[in-house]
Amino acid sequence: MNNEFNIVGKRVVRSDSLAKVTGEARYTADLKFPNMLVAKVLRSPHPHAKILKIDCSKALKVPGVKAAVSGFDSYGVKWGVFRYTQDHAMLHTDKVRYIGEDVAAVAAVDEETALEALSLIKVDYEPLPAVFDPFESMKDGAPQIHSEYKNNVNIHIHIDVGEVDKAMEKAFLVREDTFKAAGEAYAMMEPYAVVALFKNGYLDLYMPNAGPHVRAKALSNMLKLPLNRVRIRHINSGGAFGGRSEVAPGDLVASLLAIKSGQPVKLVLTREENATASRQVHDIVATVKTGMKKDGTILAKDYKVVYDGGAYSSTGPIATSIPFYVYEECYRFPNVRYNGYRVFTNKGIRGMYGCHGRAFLAGNESQMDLMAKELGLDPVDVRLKNGLKPGEVTATKSKITSCGLKETILEASEKTNFRKKWAKPSKRKGIGMGCVAIMCGFPMGFRSGSSAYVKINDDGQVTLVTGLVDNGQGNESMVIQVASEVLGVPMEDINLVCADTEVTNLDPGAYSQAAAFVGANAVRVACENARKRIVAIAAEKLGIKETEVGLKDRAAHSIKHPDKKMPISWVVREAFFRGEPIVATGSFFPHIDFEREWVTRPWGQMAGTFSFGTSVAEIEIDQETGKIKMPKFTSAHDCGRPINPMAVEGQMEGSIQQAGVAALTEGNLWDKGHLLNPNLLEYKVPLACDMPEIDTIIVSSRDPAGPFGAKEGGLTIRMNAYSAVACALTNATGELFTELPLTPDKVLTVLERKKGVK
Amino acid sequence: MVLPKFEYKKARDVADAIALYKGQKGKAVYLAGGTDLIPLIKQRLSTPSVVIDLKGIEELKSITNKDGWLEIGANVTLFELKIYPWIRDNLPAFYESLEATACETLQLRGTIGGNILQDTRCLKHNQSLEWRTSRGFCLKSNGKECNVVKGSKVCFANYCSDNAPALVTLGAELKLEGPKGERVIELTTLFTGDSLKPFSIDAGEILTYIRIPAKKTKGAYEKLRVRESMDYPLVGVAVSSVGVAAKICVGGVGLQPRLYELEDAGIETAIREIADKASSDAKPVANAVVSPAYRKKMVGVLVKRAVKRAIGEGK
Repeated sequence: MNNEFNIVGKRVVRSDSLAKVTGEARYTADLKFPNMLVAKVLRSPHPHAKILKIDCSKALKVPGVKAAVSGFDSYGVKWGVFRYTQDHAMLHTDKVRYIGEDVAAVAAVDEETALEALSLIKVDYEPLPAVFDPFESMKDGAPQIHSEYKNNVNIHIHIDVGEVDKAMEKAFLVREDTFKAAGEAYAMMEPYAVVALFKNGYLDLYMPNAGPHVRAKALSNMLKLPLNRVRIRHINSGGAFGGRSEVAPGDLVASLLAIKSGQPVKLVLTREENATASRQVHDIVATVKTGMKKDGTILAKDYKVVYDGGAYSSTGPIATSIPFYVYEECYRFPNVRYNGYRVFTNKGIRGMYGCHGRAFLAGNESQMDLMAKELGLDPVDVRLKNGLKPGEVTATKSKITSCGLKETILEASEKTNFRKKWAKPSKRKGIGMGCVAIMCGFPMGFRSGSSAYVKINDDGQVTLVTGLVDNGQGNESMVIQVASEVLGVPMEDINLVCADTEVTNLDPGAYSQAAAFVGANAVRVACENARKRIVAIAAEKLGIKETEVGLKDRAAHSIKHPDKKMPISWVVREAFFRGEPIVATGSFFPHIDFEREWVTRPWGQMAGTFSFGTSVAEIEIDQETGKIKMPKFTSAHDCGRPINPMAVEGQMEGSIQQAGVAALTEGNLWDKGHLLNPNLLEYKVPLACDMPEIDTIIVSSRDPAGPFGAKEGGLTIRMNAYSAVACALTNATGELFTELPLTPDKVLTVLERKKGVK
Repeated sequence: MVLPKFEYKKARDVADAIALYKGQKGKAVYLAGGTDLIPLIKQRLSTPSVVIDLKGIEELKSITNKDGWLEIGANVTLFELKIYPWIRDNLPAFYESLEATACETLQLRGTIGGNILQDTRCLKHNQSLEWRTSRGFCLKSNGKECNVVKGSKVCFANYCSDNAPALVTLGAELKLEGPKGERVIELTTLFTGDSLKPFSIDAGEILTYIRIPAKKTKGAYEKLRVRESMDYPLVGVAVSSVGVAAKICVGGVGLQPRLYELEDAGIETAIREIADKASSDAKPVANAVVSPAYRKKMVGVLVKRAVKRAIGEGK
């Protein structure tokens, strides 16, 4: 790759790798503080019940128990991402709404004591009728889960662009199909954990999170503490995938226990609790109607998508919208109608997911292939024909700036000999392609932008301070690399302070794919501002023009005469002498339409830029067992300029596992309100032996606004890999999937449907 | 999930283990590799007050091949057996079932004795105490009825050893030693068909050796699972043959493995008949991660596959 930079674009070892591979890196559960207590939570055994009474008095008498709390110890402030979705008090006093919901908790000197105390908490319930299926839940007369939402419809997103019905009439070919997908478990390596300390009126908290500032704000509301009294501290995160974005019940529980006991409190969820009582992914049923011209042009789309929302709103409006947007940001829809319903059920809380929306996206893509086949067209041509191009505007009025969609489609199909293989599938083998686009950031009010500051120390080393968050994807290393490039010092000279609400400024966090485009951009601006100060002094000292100064290898040098140089540390000391130390701030605010609102005004510029990607899956189907093998998986990603190609490839590989291979194995199984697979044995995360041979292709498109041309790295593959697998099944069988995951029993049903076997 | 408190005792030899057991009046369990037992204790599915560790008993760690018998100490790990060349070369069904068990990390820990004596499993039973309390206890947790088949007074938990079906096809015998002395039983008679007491082992008896006739066989083990490693069998079929005759054993469905005998594995219609019979005999219920109808169908498919592969016709 042609590269004019010293370090940006290089395959560098991530700044966090050594600590992580040696086990030195600390996570929340590793933390130890003097007199720290162990917290345990009593959970609801009922899917829906009135709470009549909670009596913790016996639990408090157990020697070693220092505090016990329930909803009666909290203010009952209900949290919601939006003003109109505030329905989750985290510890409720009126009702429980799902099995595993937090009801009461204790803090004790050790786990055994805490467990004994839990068994002595007496809760009187009055069980209520419960509902587990969103379609049942929407019916008149279904048990009402929250009184303020009629028919349990939490969110209805209605988008109507153009004239869908007329366009359908004009279409040469119209198809309507319904696709289902089981919700997934995030299955982070690290079960959720919180450590809370309350001292001198200040609450300090450690937990894996995707955005410390939003977390602090939610807790300050719920605890009625001034915002500055709630401080979320930096800690490593063992995976998030969207599941650590929002405030969690455990945050409130640990905080209350720490406040009550006056001692540090650690709450570590079990694997089962992480599955049932932290967040889960939405089960989805998507009905997709498409009208196509004879030449494969999409004329109209009409959607009805039902999301099983579980018991509370969480990120409701966002979760109900995102699958649609990442699709309309990819293809041209002159007429489109989307009705998305998020419906409450008596199941666990649901959140956003990196692979969110697989029923909808894989459904769209495989239906498109079947229609292409009927029209005698090739899926590559249909995607190229309908794919958005730079400068175009999406159906809901987002302008696409840099766009390498076409290049990802072409490179992925050429690398795999796609057209030829697709045209001649065998019963046994199939090939499929999935495309998607992703917004890099989306409207989050004043939290949509990021600010960073940087100071250069007297030894020439750098302290960089940013609100940016790393959930394992390498964001910390990324901004260190950006700072290293701008300031001309090696990565190891840069100390990063991040994701600490007391010290760092606002940032969108590891949320909405904004870290590279927004967070790293703010770091770039701050470092450029510092660089100007360094260059000014160096120019003066070296006797050259400022434009002739270069920074590299800890030195300022003359670009014309590289031998003419001085260490940056000398420049910094000179600045200290002058009483003007080299410190600088920098901000980046993406170009977003802030009038845009998920429910009431679903149009306007969604994000500063969009990334694009294409995945190609090659599968082999065992005709007798229905078992799918996936020998090869190819993904091409337009991530702008990759800051660290190795990190982007890592994200792409992870995405292929978590979305592509998982499309064969992963799904939550339910027995009414009981999750049947709240463990890593029966919840089938793909293993090393299940992985295909992977080919990752980075399509470098140079985004005009991104830092060094960068956009998000990896998420498009997370949202198109399952589509590629579903399309490969369609290619091999000529049939559409009806339900994900494609476990062998479901695949055999598809094969038998084709053969006409009952 | 934290382990509950229990007393831990380490046995020096078999006699010591039995003596320790006798002192505990039925509240003790034996521990070998622990890969089955420890998760059961964590989930409070097993609630012993004393755990007697057999791992240190050296005499049960031997493999001998003499007088026409391969005799395997119950403490031998699955991994040691997998890398034992004579097994690989002569007992292919067993070799493949060892290879198909869990993953190598667990094969290094789990013993053959423990693998055979592993408890039966069910998606609605192998859950935490909190889960089962909330759901209502099933027959296997001493409740009143099955949670999978509503109203049933019979348990449908699955016996999920990969290796027992293979050993059944090889005519294996078990040596047991207990408070009442020593005895040898055929492996096929180990299974009672009663979920509350799946094995015909007396209180305090220890499985000491597994004996397999030491003759060369052809064979295969076919396993249905969602992932290529770790998973318990959704259906497991072992086949071993000597000459034209073959023994077929179906595991993974229901409380015990089922044995079928084929006089001439070269006759296509005979294979099909036995596959159909095995499929019809299998009564899977909705207690695993794929549908029961599918598992039933797969019994027949895997029987055909395993037989063909055993006699060298399949892939």
